[in-house]
Order: sequence, then structure tokens, then C-alpha cells
Amino acid sequence: MNKDVNQITNAQAGKEGKVVVNVKSGKDINISVHHITRVEGHGNIVVNIKNGIIEKCQWQVPEAPRFFEAMVRGRRYDDIQTIVSRICGICSISHSLVATKAVEDALGLAVSEQTDLVRHLMHYSEQLQSHVLHVGYLVAPDLFGEKSVVSLVPKATQAVLKIVKAHRVANQMSALLAGRITHPITLTPGGMTRVPTEQELRDLKKTLEDVVPDLVDICKVVLSVAGNLPNFERPTEYVSLRQTNPPTYTFYHGTITSTDLNGQPDMPVNKWENVANEYMVAQSTAKWAKWHRNSYFAGALARFNNNGHLLSPLGKKVAEMFGLKKGCSNPYMNSVAQLAETAHVVEASLELIDKLLTRGTRFEPVQVRLRAGRGYAAIEAPRGILFHAYEFDKKGECTWGNCCIPTNQNHANIQADFEKLVPQFMHEGEDALRQKMEMLVRAYDPCISCSTHYLHVEFTR
Amino acid sequence: MADLKPVIVIGLGNPLMADEGIGVELVNRLAKLAAAGTLPSETVEYYDGGCGGMSLLHIIAGRRKVILIDCAKMGLKPGTIKRFTPDDVNSIKKLTHLSLHEIDIIKVLELARMLGQSPEEIVIFGIEPASIEQQMNLTAELQDRVDEFLKAIQKELKNPA
Repeated sequence: MNKDVNQITNAQAGKEGKVVVNVKSGKDINISVHHITRVEGHGNIVVNIKNGIIEKCQWQVPEAPRFFEAMVRGRRYDDIQTIVSRICGICSISHSLVATKAVEDALGLAVSEQTDLVRHLMHYSEQLQSHVLHVGYLVAPDLFGEKSVVSLVPKATQAVLKIVKAHRVANQMSALLAGRITHPITLTPGGMTRVPTEQELRDLKKTLEDVVPDLVDICKVVLSVAGNLPNFERPTEYVSLRQTNPPTYTFYHGTITSTDLNGQPDMPVNKWENVANEYMVAQSTAKWAKWHRNSYFAGALARFNNNGHLLSPLGKKVAEMFGLKKGCSNPYMNSVAQLAETAHVVEASLELIDKLLTRGTRFEPVQVRLRAGRGYAAIEAPRGILFHAYEFDKKGECTWGNCCIPTNQNHANIQADFEKLVPQFMHEGEDALRQKMEMLVRAYDPCISCSTHYLHVEFTR
Repeated sequence: MADLKPVIVIGLGNPLMADEGIGVELVNRLAKLAAAGTLPSETVEYYDGGCGGMSLLHIIAGRRKVILIDCAKMGLKPGTIKRFTPDDVNSIKKLTHLSLHEIDIIKVLELARMLGQSPEEIVIFGIEPASIEQQMNLTAELQDRVDEFLKAIQKELKNPA
């Protein structure tokens, strides 16, 4: 059965617009988790099975292209990080940081040790808030058999309160380091416009130390229902950053690595376009990506599979609790890898704070000498490796930009997972299959679109 | 954390998406008026909430009153501003629940209430958009009425009850 499925390539899926797999099952299944509106952008799950034959099995992303690259053209080098922070409300720090790094690469700007440490800490705050939000608000309701976190409240009130508390701590941390919770205002090419005081760092340290027991409790609650994570394996390529000097479980520095390199050297960040190899398919307006295979995985599981041995002690302990080991090919375990990273970033943050307190913090003025050039950068957003690149003229005006988000890098891999998952679980019936497919998409923690958040209401009085 | 001001005005939305950014535009203007002494600032915070979504839960916690300004599809003429409370409306936003990035603010407010972390009073100013697409400016329909929107919100701030 699986042999047939594996023969279907994503290119075929895109070209033909449908996937046909000869699988005998008996019942007709029609799944359509569908949102048409192009304004907001959504992912659609479409499966049609007739007389046991899979006629269609697709992950579709009909999101309108957002042309952010065009919006930055003509803008000053120090406006870029502010504009692109609005691409996403969940990973706005990652977008701002990677843009700042790419601008610094273009202008040849080096940053101080203090700037590097503070930015790392800021980046950890986003990993923490995003992972807690994802596992707590989206994955946990699935595992408890609830539709959303709202309906989970009566069933697991204490657990939800701990999740909200941990999320609040992460938000406070972002507010301190980024100037506000979302859309940072403390970053500038070459440095920071504000750094935390030593007292603020001491307060943050205490807050983070206090939240560790809550995080452990959250892990225990998730572990109690982790048996509901589907048992599904599909080996694929895992792509993430890797930092060897010093060896670090990195989200911020390093080269681009993969589980498929087989001894070949990592790819330098300025060659990221040769990693993503973006291409178009008929079923999606978002671009897809591939490197050594027809698809690859970006995200916490990729980072874990490449760098898991470098997790902090508590991060390793959390992975062990759930039986997560390097080489894992169950995409649903991405949420567990996120939990391990949650513990890791808190411990890593405490180390960074100690380092900053030892050296002391002070405002450092930034001097920028403009030059024409192109710059590249990559960092790990919570949901996977994120690439930006910009080019500037000698006046510091942007003439070109390119960004490649982790979710687009994962689309082909989600499609390939669907092609194995549907034949494996179709015997469980439509509802169970739909649930597993939705959970699979959620496991990737996709950033399908958060460019618009408007209210849509009808008046009842 | 510094002491919270009891009232917060939060502008939501995305300035990269034309009229979607109206909330952010208005709150930034209100903040300037407050800095100039025209609006209260000691007891009122003005906050650019952007696309923060679930973070709203934490921004409103511990406040007495929250005033939200957001682009809202209400089936009204573009450029119409309407004041309402969460109890006045049903959210008819359709979410797939596939991604963290889809946000229904009404649901976030409901979660705050269920957790006992909701402010005493929540007022929403919804502004009907003319266009939501990739553009870094408001449409003329909304731009021409910015002063009218500001007046409506200023009235709310002058009559806090």
C-alpha cells in the first residue's frame, strides 16, 4: 500500500491537481476543511475517496500573495525591520530580527556582544510565547478531545491557567526586550535602541525561575494525554540551523544543515535560496520548497533531529518524558519537540541573563556607514527556519527584497504526509481521518496568514 | 512590571493591509493627542496591539476598562464607525483552527471572561473597511473620516462611565 503512495510525487500532485491511489477500503469519504476567502488566507484540506479509491488528497493554500518584498522597495535601511514585523503577529520578533541581520549583512555592520546577547534573549522570549501558545491553545484541546481552548477551560481549568500564566511571562519578557509584546521597536541595524537595566534583568530572572514548575506541570498534563498523538511515521529531510562554535542548540546563529547531507558541509546562510529552491504548484498560491528530496521539514522537530543532543538538561528531560529521540519521523511529535524547546529556552535565558548581569548593561550608540550591497540572513522562527534577503543602494534605500517563511517550506511535506496518512487511516472513517489530518496540519504550527485580524460580527441587539 | 493604568485603548490591525490598519492609525493619533495634553494620559494607556491576537488576553488583564478599535465587517457602509460591546454581537468569523494565526478577538474576550481575567467594561469601536488588501495607506473613504472617528473615541474617553 505504502509503496503506491510513495510513488506519487508532489510535482505530480501539483501538475495533475489530484492524487489517485489504489487502496481498497470500502466507504466513500469526503473531507473538505475549506475556507475560500482569499483575503485572510487559509489552508484547505480536501480528500475524496470513492469506492475505496482516493481520487483527491490535497493540502491547498489559496492565500493571496502578500508582496511584502515589493513594500520594502524604496524604504530606508532602518525602516525594514519595522515594516516586516507586521508580516506576522506571532513571529514578529523573528521577522524583525532576521531582517535586521540581513540589513547588517548588506551594510557590513558588526554588532557588539551585548547586542548579540540581548537579541538572543528577545528571540527566546518569542520561542517561549509561541510554543506555549501553540501547544497550550491549539494542540492540547485536540489531545483532550475539545474543539478549542475555550471549551477546554471547564475540563482542565488549572492546566489552562498555567498555560495562560506561562504565556503571560513570555509576553512580559518580549515587552521588556522588544519594547512591546509584538512588533518590536528596540531593534535597529547595528545595535539596540534600548537595553534592559540590570534590575529589570534580575526581575526577569526571578519571573522565569518561578515559571519553571508551571512548565513542568504543563508537560505532565500534555504527557497524560500524549497517547492521543497519532502513531504515524514518514521519514523525510529535516532542515534547520546548526551552530558548531561553540556547539549550541541554535535558533539564531549558524549554518544551514540537513539530515540528508551525508557528510557534505552545511550550506552558508547567504546561499539560502539554494536550500529553499522555491517552486510553484497548481494547488497552492503559496510557493513550495525542496532541497535533497521532494519536500523537507522545518520546525522544532527538525531542530531537535539535528541538534537535540545540545538541549539544556530540562529540555532533554522533557524529550525523555515523551520518548522523543533524535531521528524521530512522526510529524505529530513536533509539538513535543516544541515542549522540550520551551524548557530549553527558559534555561538558556537564565544563563544569558547571568552573562549580561556579570558584564553589566549600558546603552551603546550605533554608527552606520552606508554602502550599496546585498545581504542574507537566516534564523529559526518558532515554526522553522526563516530566510530574508535585501539589497540597498549607496543612499541606503532598499532596491530588492526576498523572504521565505518556514510554513511555505513545509507545504510540500504536509502534502507528502497526507499521501501516506490517508491510506493508513482511512479505514477509521471520515471523522477520525479528518481529525488526524487537521491535527497533522496543526502539528506543523503553520503561519498560514495573520496579515489580517479584522472582526466579523452580526449584531444581536 | 510597572503599575497598570486602569483604562487602555488598544488599536488592532495591520497597517500593511490598507483599512485593516485603521485601529493602529487611530490609536497612534490618540497617543499623540495624549502626549500633547489633549487627552488623559495618567490613567489611560494607548496601545498599538497590531496583530498580537492572543496576547490581547494579557494586555487587558487587570484593567478596569478596555476600549478596542478595530476594522470590523459589520455589513455597514464603508467608513461607518459603530460602538458596541461584546454582548451586542455574535462573531460570525469562520476559523479553521488549523493555525495560531487566525484570531477571533471576540473569542479571546470570551476566554478572558471564563478565566476570570476580564476587565469590568469592554467597549469596541468597529470601523467598516472599504478595502483590505496589500497597501500601506488607508483608502480615501476611511482617511477622509479619521477626524470623525477620533471624535467618537475621544467622547468615550471624556465620559468614562
